[in-house]
Amino acid sequence: MSINNLISGILSGDNRSIARAISIVESADIKTREKIIKEIYNRGNAKIIGITGPPGVGKSTIIGNIAPMLSDYGKISILAVDPASPFSGGSILGNRIRMQETLSKKNIFMRSTSNRLYNGGLSEYSWDIIKIMEASGSDFIILETVGSGQSDIDIMNIADITCVVLAPGLGDEIQAIKSGIMEIGDIFIVNKIDREGSYIAIKDIRETLNLGNKIKTPVIGINSINKENYDKFLDYIIKWDKKNYKKKYIGKLKQIIIEDIYNKYSCYIDNMEYDENTLKKDPYTVAEAIIKNMNEIIDK
Amino acid sequence: MENGRNRKYTEAPIKILLAKPAIDGHDRGIFVLARAFRDAGMDVIYAGLLPTPEEVVDTAINEDVDVIALSLLNGAHLTAFKNVMDILNKKDVHDIAVVGGGIIPDDDKPILEKMGVTGNFGPGTPLKIIIKHVRERAMEVRKIKEDEYK
Repeated sequence: MSINNLISGILSGDNRSIARAISIVESADIKTREKIIKEIYNRGNAKIIGITGPPGVGKSTIIGNIAPMLSDYGKISILAVDPASPFSGGSILGNRIRMQETLSKKNIFMRSTSNRLYNGGLSEYSWDIIKIMEASGSDFIILETVGSGQSDIDIMNIADITCVVLAPGLGDEIQAIKSGIMEIGDIFIVNKIDREGSYIAIKDIRETLNLGNKIKTPVIGINSINKENYDKFLDYIIKWDKKNYKKKYIGKLKQIIIEDIYNKYSCYIDNMEYDENTLKKDPYTVAEAIIKNMNEIIDK
Repeated sequence: MENGRNRKYTEAPIKILLAKPAIDGHDRGIFVLARAFRDAGMDVIYAGLLPTPEEVVDTAINEDVDVIALSLLNGAHLTAFKNVMDILNKKDVHDIAVVGGGIIPDDDKPILEKMGVTGNFGPGTPLKIIIKHVRERAMEVRKIKEDEYK
């Protein structure tokens, strides 16, 4: 398989080509990535549904339940991100266990990736992977973040609909009025409403949203065991319009440029000797020297 | 791996799928292995309990893994491992290595090797040996892949 075969495979929706292309995009250098993205950019039009929330609230289970319901409306691809170990760089990608049954039955393409220690709740190349999935003819792409903290909000710049999943007992109204993840949701979902305190959790979130003039933002309590209220959730997903075009574009542009610049300077940073003399200078001066040096080389 | 560094496609962490492709619920061993592979810097996917051979191959293709590690402790390895290999061959997949493990009698090991399932480690094998074997197999298939995308 060469890159050209790969691209025709992606466009015809062949799972093996899609999977291989995702691997390449995840791991290859910027030139190879460019070759692939150039050919498939603008080749698809999918609604991207972002699912985010703290660890253990049921994000994967919700995807496992909603994906087969959604598959009546079009082709679905799923991308799930799991955290890498900061010590070994390895990871355990466990999202698939919760959805394998439905995936095989409905022939849904699902990919789990490690975030490779990238901050923000997604992996560095999530945007590229989503473009590949779009080009494969998906109508809906479900994007699951790592179990997120309060500041993992990259998802809002990639997804068309951001669903924040919460569960009862995660905190009081003070937690609900904090910044970060509690602001980015287009839909708030309280999972496990059979548990104690679910009414209070829904109330706290509702009140906070009303204070912030977001009276139209829905807060849905769902139960993943008996699929209570999943139909409401589905309705909102179907009705919601696409958005964020500009933000997505600018975000990616920034990332590419930063990567390109870093690639140019990284050899200096890596090859510098970090002896006591260097460590005594402040990093601002050293950085300035590196950039100046680089410019001189380019001028020549 | 650091962000934004120039790198080669084949230098990414090894991706490995752990599966028990038959009716077998003894999953303590596979959890130990999952942790060990993670600590060795690999991306580990565990297929969960009771996947069918078709599901195992499906998962392996969708996730584009380098190695499938099959484990069975119920004596069905000759049937179940063969099923997985047959489906892989039917789909013309030759760039995924398959390794095995579990309660496997010495007599069966050459048969499995012939099918293409290598390793076939039993209980008590040091983790180091298993990891080394998986790394070797992964590097073999990576070599095939590297030549494909130049």
